[in-house]
Amino acid sequence: MQVRMSTLKIGEKAIIDSFPENSQEGLRLLSLGILPGDEVEVTSKALFLGPLSLKHCKNTFFAIRRSHANKILVRLIN
Amino acid sequence: MNSKVLLVGFPNSGKSSLFNILSGQRRKVTNYSGITVDAAQGDLLSNDQYDNKVKIVDLPGMYNLVPTSIDEGVSLNSLLNLTSDVSYNLVALVVDIERFESSMSLCLALKDLIGDKLVLIINKDDKKVITNEQRKLIEKETGLKALTTSSKKSNVREIDRFIRDSIKEEVALTGKVTLSKECLEYIPDYKDIPQVIVEEDQKIVLDQVNQYHKRAREIVEKIVRPDSKRVEVTRKLDKLLVHPLWGSIIFVIIFYLIFNSIYEWAGPLMDSVDSLVGLLGDWASSVLPDGYLKSLVVDGVIAGVGGVIIFAPQIGILFFLLSLLEQSGYISRAAVLSDRVMSIFGLNGKAFLPYLSGFACSIPGIMAARTIPSKKERVATIMTIPMITCSARLPVYILLIGTFVPKEKVFGFLNSQALSFFFLYFLGSFFALFMALIFRLTYFKGETSSFFIDLPLYQRPRLRIALGTALQKVKFFCKKAGTIILVLSIGIWFASTFPRLNPSEVLNKDPEVVASLQLQNSFMGRIGKTIEPVLKPIGMDWKMGVGLLVAFGARELFVSTMGTIYALGEVDEESSTLRERLKLEKDEVTGEPKFNLAVAWSILIFFVFSLQCTSTLAILRRELGNWKQPIFAFTYMGVLAWVGSFIAYNLLS
Repeated sequence: MQVRMSTLKIGEKAIIDSFPENSQEGLRLLSLGILPGDEVEVTSKALFLGPLSLKHCKNTFFAIRRSHANKILVRLIN
Repeated sequence: MNSKVLLVGFPNSGKSSLFNILSGQRRKVTNYSGITVDAAQGDLLSNDQYDNKVKIVDLPGMYNLVPTSIDEGVSLNSLLNLTSDVSYNLVALVVDIERFESSMSLCLALKDLIGDKLVLIINKDDKKVITNEQRKLIEKETGLKALTTSSKKSNVREIDRFIRDSIKEEVALTGKVTLSKECLEYIPDYKDIPQVIVEEDQKIVLDQVNQYHKRAREIVEKIVRPDSKRVEVTRKLDKLLVHPLWGSIIFVIIFYLIFNSIYEWAGPLMDSVDSLVGLLGDWASSVLPDGYLKSLVVDGVIAGVGGVIIFAPQIGILFFLLSLLEQSGYISRAAVLSDRVMSIFGLNGKAFLPYLSGFACSIPGIMAARTIPSKKERVATIMTIPMITCSARLPVYILLIGTFVPKEKVFGFLNSQALSFFFLYFLGSFFALFMALIFRLTYFKGETSSFFIDLPLYQRPRLRIALGTALQKVKFFCKKAGTIILVLSIGIWFASTFPRLNPSEVLNKDPEVVASLQLQNSFMGRIGKTIEPVLKPIGMDWKMGVGLLVAFGARELFVSTMGTIYALGEVDEESSTLRERLKLEKDEVTGEPKFNLAVAWSILIFFVFSLQCTSTLAILRRELGNWKQPIFAFTYMGVLAWVGSFIAYNLLS
C-alpha cells in the first residue's frame, strides 16, 4: 500500500517509492544517501508536527521535516 | 612550471584544515561577481624546494555536481573552468568517512567529468579509522590513488608529496554533467559549454545522481561493514532521546545543566582572571611614573581589555561542554527537537545551537551559525543573535535590578528580582526570534526553509578534543576581541580624559569631584550633553548617556563608567556605595531623585535590545562580508531599544 512517509507511525517500516518532484528536496535526500528503494523505519515523531526521525537501511539515521516527508511516497512492509 | 590543484569535498569534511596545513594558513578570499564565497587560494609551503610551483584552491563544500546553493555553484564553476583562463592540473577529493557512501558518489561523478586527474584524500582522525587494506580496496574499486591521512602537522610532507606526485598536465574535461535549469542560477559565470547538458525534466537529473549513489553503495558495501553494535545502541538511545515527550524533557534538563555549570564553574575562574588583571594593574601603577602614560595604561588599556578578558573562562567552558555534546552526536538530535519551534519563526533547527551560544556571547553564536545551509536563514539568524541576553549584560542587570527593583514576593512565592531577570532574558530571546520572523517574511523572504539532517551514530566524547576546541576558541576570543577592545579602550580613555580643565578650576577641590568635573569637560562629556535631548524622552540625563556611549565598547563598561561619573572611581556592580549614590542622585531642577524605578527599567530595556558591542559589529562584518547589514542591525536594534525604553519609562513614571 502506497502512503505518504509522514503518515507512518513510530516503529513502522517502509520502502521509499518516489521522491518529491522538486529537485532541490530530492537532491538533499540523495546527498544524505537516501535513495528510492531504500528501507526506512520511523524512530520518532517530534511534538507538534515536528520533524520525523528515521532509521535508514542497516546503519544510518536521519531526520526531515514533516513537510518534506509529506512529499515522499513509501510502501509499507509488515 | 606552475600547477593548480583544486580541493573539493563535503562541507565540514576537513578540507579547510587540510588546506591550512598545506599552505600555512595564508587564506585569500575569492570574489565571484559580487558574492563573497569562502574559497581560498594559496601556495604550497613546499614551493621553495621544488621547481613546480603549486597553487591550491580550497573550494566551498559540495555534495554532488548538481548545485543547489551558491557554494556548490561556485565549486562547479571552478571545476568546469568557466572563469579563469588557467586550467587546473589535479582535483583532490577529501573523502569523509562518516559520509562515505555519498562521498564515493561524488567521487564517481567527478571521475566521469575530469577523468583520472583525481585523487582521494581520506581524512581520518581519532574517531574515523580506515585500514590499509580498506584503502587498497578503495583504490582498486575506483581506479584512483588514495591516501589516508589526518590533518595533523606531522603529515604535511606526506600529503604534500602525494599531491605533487599526482600532478600531471592540465585537466581536459572528458565527460559531461547534466543539470536542471534551476541549477544554472547558482553558477556565477555560467555559459553554454559542450560539457553541460541542460535538462528540462528534473527527474532525469535526479535519476543521474541516483545512479551514482547506487554504484557508490555497491563499492562501499565491499569495503566497510556496519558496526551493528553501535547501530543498536543508537537505535535504543534515540528511542529515548528523540522521544516526543521524554526527549523534550531531557533536552531541557541537559541545556539547563550546561547553563548552570557555566555560571557555577566560570565564577571562580573569572575571579582569578580578574585578580590577575588587578595585579597587573597594580604592578603597572607602581612601575610607571604618574601622568598620562600611567593613566592610559592602567585606566585605559588594562581596565578596558581586562574587563573583557574576564569573560574568556565562560567562552572556554561553553565550548568545552558543547564539544562534548557535539562529539557524542546529541547536537543533531537537539536540532531535531527544536526545529518545530524554530520553523514557526522561519528558521531552522540548525539555528538552535547558535542562539544557545549567544547566551554566553554573541560572537561564538554568530560563528556557530555557519552550519546553517540556507543563506537567508543564516543571515536572519546572525542579524538577531545579538539580542539574546549575553553575559556582558549581566553586570548591568545585577546593578540596576538589585538597586531599584524592590525585593517582594509575587503571587506569594516568586521573587520579584528573579522574575525581573527572567523577564529581561525572555524579552531578548523572544524579540530575537520575532525579528528573525519579520526578516524571513520581508527582507530575507523566499527560499522555503528546509530541514534535512543526518543523525550520526552516538559515540563516547573525548575530553582531549573538547579541551582543544575550548582552548582554540578562547585564544580566538582573546585575540580578536582583545585587539578591537584594545583600540577602543585607548579611544575611550582619550575621549574621557581630554580636553583637560584649567588648573584654576580644580583648585582646592576633592579629587573625586575633580574627576567628575573633568569628565563633564571631556569630549565624552560634551557628546553626552549633545545627545541629552534624545535621551530626555526615555528618562535619562547626560551622565547616563555617557554610560551608554562607553558601553558601546563593551556593555560591562557601563557599570565602571557610572562609578567614575558619580565620582567614586573604580566601582564594581556589588558596590553598595554606587547603589546608594545612584539612589541619592537628585535632579538639579526639581530636586526629585534622579533614579527611580522608571529610569532603571528604561536603562534595562535599552540594554536588552541595543547592539552595544563593537566586537559583535566587527564579527558581523566579517561573517556577512559587508558593512550594510551590520549597520542595519545596529540601527534596528537601536530603534527597538529607544522605543522600548520610551514605553517602559512612560508606563512606570
